[in-house]
Amino acid sequence: MNSWKYLLQQMAVVAAIVVAIVLFFTHVDFGYDFHWAVIWEMNPTYEEVFGIWLLRGLILTLEITLISTIVSLILGTLFGIARLSQFKPLYYFSTAYVEFFRNTPLLVQLFFWYFAFPLGLPETVREFLYDHNFELWAATGGLSIYTSAFIAEVVRAGIQAIPRGHLEAAASSGLSRIQALRFVILPQAFRIIIPPLGSELLNNMKNSSLAMVIGVADLCWQAQQIESFTFRGFEATTAATVIYLSLSLIISMLMNSVNHHLKIGKKDLNIVDKILALLVRPLFMLGALILRVIGAVTFFLGERRRKADQVEELYLSSSARWAENLLRILIVSGKGAFILFFVAFLGVVGYGLWGFNWDVIFKNFQALLIWTFPHGGGGEIFHGLGGLSLSVLLALISLTVSFIFGLLAGLGRLSRSPFISTPSVLYIELIRGNPLIMVIFWVYFFSPILTGMQIDVFWSALIAFTIFSGAYLAEIVRAGVSAIPSGQSEAATASGLSYFKTMRFIVLPQALKIMIPAIVGQFIALFKDTSLAYIIGVFELTTVAQTVNNRLMIYPFEIYTTIAVLYFICCYGMSDVARRLELKYSPDKQIEAPRMA
Amino acid sequence: MKRHLLRHSVVVLAVVLLVPALCFAGPTYDKVQAEGVVQAGLMYNSIPAAYFNESNEWVGFDVDIATEVVKRIGQQMGKDLKMEKVKVNNKTRISFLTSGRIDMSTANMTHKRERDKTIDFSITYFFDGQKILAKKGKYTSHKDFVGKKMASMQGTTSEKNAINLLKSLGDTNPNVISFQDEPSCFLALQQGKVAGWSTDSTILLGYAAKEPGKYELVGDFFSDEPYGIGLPENDSDWRDAVNFAIQDMWNDGTYMNIYNKWYGPDTLYYFPMTEKIEMWP
Repeated sequence: MNSWKYLLQQMAVVAAIVVAIVLFFTHVDFGYDFHWAVIWEMNPTYEEVFGIWLLRGLILTLEITLISTIVSLILGTLFGIARLSQFKPLYYFSTAYVEFFRNTPLLVQLFFWYFAFPLGLPETVREFLYDHNFELWAATGGLSIYTSAFIAEVVRAGIQAIPRGHLEAAASSGLSRIQALRFVILPQAFRIIIPPLGSELLNNMKNSSLAMVIGVADLCWQAQQIESFTFRGFEATTAATVIYLSLSLIISMLMNSVNHHLKIGKKDLNIVDKILALLVRPLFMLGALILRVIGAVTFFLGERRRKADQVEELYLSSSARWAENLLRILIVSGKGAFILFFVAFLGVVGYGLWGFNWDVIFKNFQALLIWTFPHGGGGEIFHGLGGLSLSVLLALISLTVSFIFGLLAGLGRLSRSPFISTPSVLYIELIRGNPLIMVIFWVYFFSPILTGMQIDVFWSALIAFTIFSGAYLAEIVRAGVSAIPSGQSEAATASGLSYFKTMRFIVLPQALKIMIPAIVGQFIALFKDTSLAYIIGVFELTTVAQTVNNRLMIYPFEIYTTIAVLYFICCYGMSDVARRLELKYSPDKQIEAPRMA
Repeated sequence: MKRHLLRHSVVVLAVVLLVPALCFAGPTYDKVQAEGVVQAGLMYNSIPAAYFNESNEWVGFDVDIATEVVKRIGQQMGKDLKMEKVKVNNKTRISFLTSGRIDMSTANMTHKRERDKTIDFSITYFFDGQKILAKKGKYTSHKDFVGKKMASMQGTTSEKNAINLLKSLGDTNPNVISFQDEPSCFLALQQGKVAGWSTDSTILLGYAAKEPGKYELVGDFFSDEPYGIGLPENDSDWRDAVNFAIQDMWNDGTYMNIYNKWYGPDTLYYFPMTEKIEMWP
């Protein structure tokens, strides 16, 4: 009964907001005529229906998303297991892989894969690649590698979370290895890995929008194309946003259904859940297969080590000994091959660095750090400040301001009144359901319509980052506040404290401690994302690198590597701080930082 | 009572006379006269039109033209105008004009009818045309690019022209890849990802000069690209001021001085002047 009333109220609030928005746009004069028909009408100048362009973009976005999902799952699983290996070269290699790709912006990685990487390949391979839609493969491959680094961490954490004691307990209670795997390890690993895996895959879809920077005609690119052909940026961006939101919604619904499936205990499934459950069944089968492989490999490794400790070997039959020896030879040769690969890899990297034109880097290093500061012209922001310092500034200011947004929306979402919680949920989900690049375009096209004037692109970008990161911080705040036992706020209320006092003196100080690592994680994500301001011409690190590169033109490798290293140093340093803070402040619960696209 | 009426009619008369006067003198012209500052939109990634040189100074043909135009408008107004340079790119140059962020956009803008629906243009201040740049010795005519990949920049007229050219030569599915900026296009050509890069010939000359002797322009012009200075829509006084400045520059030879500095025979981007700026006696 109560839930019905709540639902009705919620729907009323949503309806009121929609009506308000529609009235706002139809009755307030911005000096801008909306022309929505541009989406479905035949344009007389170009003889094209632009809606079809959007659909074409959607198909390509889906294609990239699907392929990169599968590849990143495989790569992520392999590297996740490799990070737990006792074999040092493998461990170092996989750790370097994960840390490097997690701590540099996807945009820079895409530039690297597309522009720099092929230069290191033999002529024939290069020619072959260029003839086979290299744009699409560079984008899909780059995206797969980026996502796989995050998935590897999820897999590693999932496997590590299963206590060894469980395995021993299973063995001592008489379960066979297969039974222990099937009934003890897999179900637990599943529950731990699947939910964060789902959000990584959602991020993967949103990140596919960056493929536009290397000329892949995805959904986001097509929206821009319509803008440049008709100057109807607002309409085109809105249409693309609606499509992205629907995609995100579908993925989240599937994810919820999966999470529902994994819940222990009573499940009250309604008809929608049941239909969804049917849809996600193939996903489950795929997941089961992958986890079976993980489980089998870890189990096997553990078992082999244990066997080494026992002296049973003496009593093995000759055929078993044979098999054992063969296996050992295989493993040793495998290790040898890997060491060879590792050395060769280091050699290639070293050789590449040796051939660098270091002079170019030294000459332009100052520009990459501060650009022309303090000698900028009158029209330039902060006396021509740019490069790395502008990126840091952009991230710092927007994180600080967005914390206020995040706090309000996060607490609002927890409110019992639908009049407060519904708008909060709408804000959080609308923003989180879209790629950052779309939010940037939104602010960029919307703010002049709303205010009648154009602010500097720096401020446009700043507003976009603030709105975007606010939605993610809101979720961190919500998780932090929910982690405080409800008894505490009940006790506070009982002793006569108001809601605000309870929050101010009891809940938030504790919650903040739990949130700190997640907030630092958010800052890192935001810092990497400042590279996207490149699209609208803010002079942060990536744009400066492009400008410097433009002048020299023949040293792209040097320039891109330098900025990748600069981004990496900053991000890795901060993750290190985050790890330390986590150790320092973690009571018993840790909340996972929601990542930005 | 009578005095009141008189006073009222004076006020009314003043309003009637002043309001149209205010309307006719466009907002930009007045704004510039009042503030003494012109916001000029310039590209930052286009060689030799507007780019950052070795010492990170913002230079180029467009930069010099904009500076000279602003100086001359100041002379017309009888005051010293200051120019503030605003960075624009292919995505921002038109919306910056419509929203009033900049007062003029000297940014490789081809004067197109479709664009004229949203903004206004000055008279043509530079005559370019579209060509194709390719690796030396590989291609001889436009026809050779049928079925090959071609680079262009998103949001430019050259993108559309390149597709149309390939279509007219019998390419059923033109493969034109659109990047976000010129460096990306050139890199794609340099690394052989595309067979050719098509845009306005002077831009191509600027990049080809980075590695002399390695590239060549293939075929003839296949489009006219008259560059105009982008101006806010319906602002007649301001547009007149800009047009007169350009014509005066041509008349006293300043224009050709600037032209030869960037496109003359002694430069890396030699591009002979064959046209003449529109003149009003």
